[in-house]
Amino acid sequence: MQIWSWHGFFTYLGSPYIFRGALITVYMTAVSMVMGFLLGLLIAVMKRSQRRLLSWPARFYVWFFRGTPLLVQLVVIYAGLPKLDIRLSVMACSIIGLTLNEAAYLAEIIRAGLNAVPTGQIAAARALGLSERQIAWRIAFPQAFRLIIPPLGNSVNGLLKTTSVTSVISMEELMQRSQILVQDQFMVLELFSVAALYYLLMTTAWDFLQRRIEHYAERPYRRQQQSAAVDPIELPVTTQDAR
Amino acid sequence: MITLDNVAKSYGAFQVLKGCSAEIGRGEVVVVCGPSGSGKSTLIKCINALETFEGGQIWVDGMAVRSAQTDHSALRAKAGMVFQSFELFSHLSILDNIMLAPRLVQKRAKDEIREHAKTLLRRVGLESHADKYPIALSGGQQQRAAIARALAMKPDVMLFDEPTSALDPEMVQEVLQVMTELAREGMTMMCVTHEMGFARQVATRILFVDAGEIVDDCPAADFFAGRCSVRAQAFLRFEADHPG
Ligand SMILES: Nc1ncnc2c1ncn2[C@@H]1O[C@H](COP(=O)(O)OP(=O)(O)O)[C@@H](O)[C@H]1O
Ligand SMILES: [Mg+2]
Repeated sequence: MQIWSWHGFFTYLGSPYIFRGALITVYMTAVSMVMGFLLGLLIAVMKRSQRRLLSWPARFYVWFFRGTPLLVQLVVIYAGLPKLDIRLSVMACSIIGLTLNEAAYLAEIIRAGLNAVPTGQIAAARALGLSERQIAWRIAFPQAFRLIIPPLGNSVNGLLKTTSVTSVISMEELMQRSQILVQDQFMVLELFSVAALYYLLMTTAWDFLQRRIEHYAERPYRRQQQSAAVDPIELPVTTQDAR
Repeated sequence: MITLDNVAKSYGAFQVLKGCSAEIGRGEVVVVCGPSGSGKSTLIKCINALETFEGGQIWVDGMAVRSAQTDHSALRAKAGMVFQSFELFSHLSILDNIMLAPRLVQKRAKDEIREHAKTLLRRVGLESHADKYPIALSGGQQQRAAIARALAMKPDVMLFDEPTSALDPEMVQEVLQVMTELAREGMTMMCVTHEMGFARQVATRILFVDAGEIVDDCPAADFFAGRCSVRAQAFLRFEADHPG
């Protein structure tokens, strides 16, 4: 057997079977990230609460899901739920596991963001009569979100690759499909190089997307040229007084 | 308009407010002064329930502040507050800063709020800055926007906590000018400040706070004519020697 087959490499690169595996990876990442973020937000808010009835369950959650391997969590969900007569697809089990696990990490990131929102602005919102709920949605969350985009980006990047752990419950994502092909075609290097290339492609695409999101979120914090984008007519008047 | 009745507050064993009483009538401009750490900020923040207090009572336009039944939103709509460090919402444009609370809290019609906000911006000289974000404005401009934001709620009284203390000297006057106009239009105001020039111009009364007590409460004319307590006079002389 030859050391490296370009023919094999390009065959796998063009293989719809592998390509669809990559799409499944993207899909799992997107769904678990969004759901994990929402759950993480809830847990972060609970953990910050003065009430122990809220903060303790949140602390327990984070402690548990960060303290055990994702692989174990996935197997427990996959093997445990049928025993409770809950029958879910492998995809559903994978997304549940990834979401629950990711939420624990995201909760800590979100908590850091919420802690960094200037308390003076919260007091100002309170002085204007906004309710605590309105302050959360209108002042705290938007400002916290901008602050945590870089670590959130890390999480998305990590999750793209972590999804491969779901192959342990036979989820057919990119990694699992590569392994399946390896088993009868033996071109380990060629297959895994293609997989690596796909992961690079996905993380690069995310890098690009993250930069766009960051650029958008930073708009209010740039001193220059900001009103031009909002209202070009304002520009001649505004530039001269800007400090 | 505002009645302070024996207001007391402690941080643990430390008593910040030791039974403060005062009466602020409609249209009055009361300037609160006193040494740093004497409890001025704490006192003014008790009025709109940003701080809690354990003893006494405060009445704002007949509304008891320290009561389980108090609707904090309604109370805070009556009393606008301006902070030392502006505290504009940094993720919102100046116009959105001003329109946020009238829309969310008072649920007024959007068109009316926008018109009102633009009128206020014109009044504080910021009409060309409506779509900018706070970071693009100077300190003085930010504080004027913060005053407009408080006025957008159509408050009955305005509370100021050292509104010019964080400003570069050349920006103090533009803010004081807005406040002076507001006072001349008949707004009820309670203002913690060391700006004795401002006090001399518009204050009806001066409260002198020291170590958690209102040690002096006298008409502005008497205060500046030197007919008030020794402590207040000493403070006044000190301020005259060390302006700002
Ligand atoms: N959260 C707090 N915990 C403990 N002490 C406080 C707190 N806030 C203020 N103080 C104390 O209360 C006193 C009065 O503070 P403050 O009202 O800010 O004074 P002023 O505005 O007159 O300078 C100060 O001695 C300050 O250290
Ligand atoms: Mg103070």
